[in-house]
Amino acid sequence: MTDKTEAAVPDQSVLIVDGDIISRHAIADYLRHCGYAVVEAANTDEAMTALAELSLGVDIILCDIAAIGARSGFELAQWVRDNRPGLEVRLAGSLDVAAKTAADLCETGPHLKRPYEPQAVVDYIKQLRAARARV
Amino acid sequence: MNAMTDQALEPAAAARVLVVEDEFLIRMEVAAHLRDAGFEVIEAMNGDEAVAILTARAPIDLVFTDVRMPGSTDGMGLLEFIRRTRPTLPVIMTSGHLEPALAFSGGATAFFPKPSDLDVVVKALRAALEAAA
Repeated sequence: MTDKTEAAVPDQSVLIVDGDIISRHAIADYLRHCGYAVVEAANTDEAMTALAELSLGVDIILCDIAAIGARSGFELAQWVRDNRPGLEVRLAGSLDVAAKTAADLCETGPHLKRPYEPQAVVDYIKQLRAARARV
Repeated sequence: MNAMTDQALEPAAAARVLVVEDEFLIRMEVAAHLRDAGFEVIEAMNGDEAVAILTARAPIDLVFTDVRMPGSTDGMGLLEFIRRTRPTLPVIMTSGHLEPALAFSGGATAFFPKPSDLDVVVKALRAALEAAA
């Protein structure tokens, strides 16, 4: 759980690029509770808009490989490597990888008291998706 | 049970607002303002995403939605979906084009013309949540 006694303002910002609102929100929520500032982009076009807003100070991009937009997830990563070499990009090809990556960020995050369990994020997302599928 | 599961499955202290807006920078600004005001925010890029998260039964206390959006469900379509599936869920609409009377006739709780003063929106959200409690 986030330690409220530590610095209140996160010093790292994560841009999440994912076209599935259920996954995107769960991972974003997870990282916010770890103390990160999080920007949510539903596609790579929104991600490019976010990257153009330098005031957002994005430090890390967590991008779904299947993200849609004018650029694919791979192409977005390539653009970042070419144009923002100091910016870290982590591509996730599956829900489990995305959750594990978020957990890794939490483990190294500035406000984490204890690691989160990535499987719980995956289970939560699957639960929401199952509810959606039943309707 | 860990922190994520606790947070996800138990009622949150903060009200959860679903913000539906296709303009990325506007959505980001509104979401940040509402988080600063103490709300938990779920961001949807259009009506289709809003329907997806509502259908998944994510706990949501109020919807703040734009009207004119791409996709198969615009703001009025979303309002119709919510009134059919969650009749008591407060829905606050915002638009630079729609006549407020049309929003209210569809069952909107409140309406704000764009651009909106977000401090005023926050007050309206709190009032709507209190009325729905």
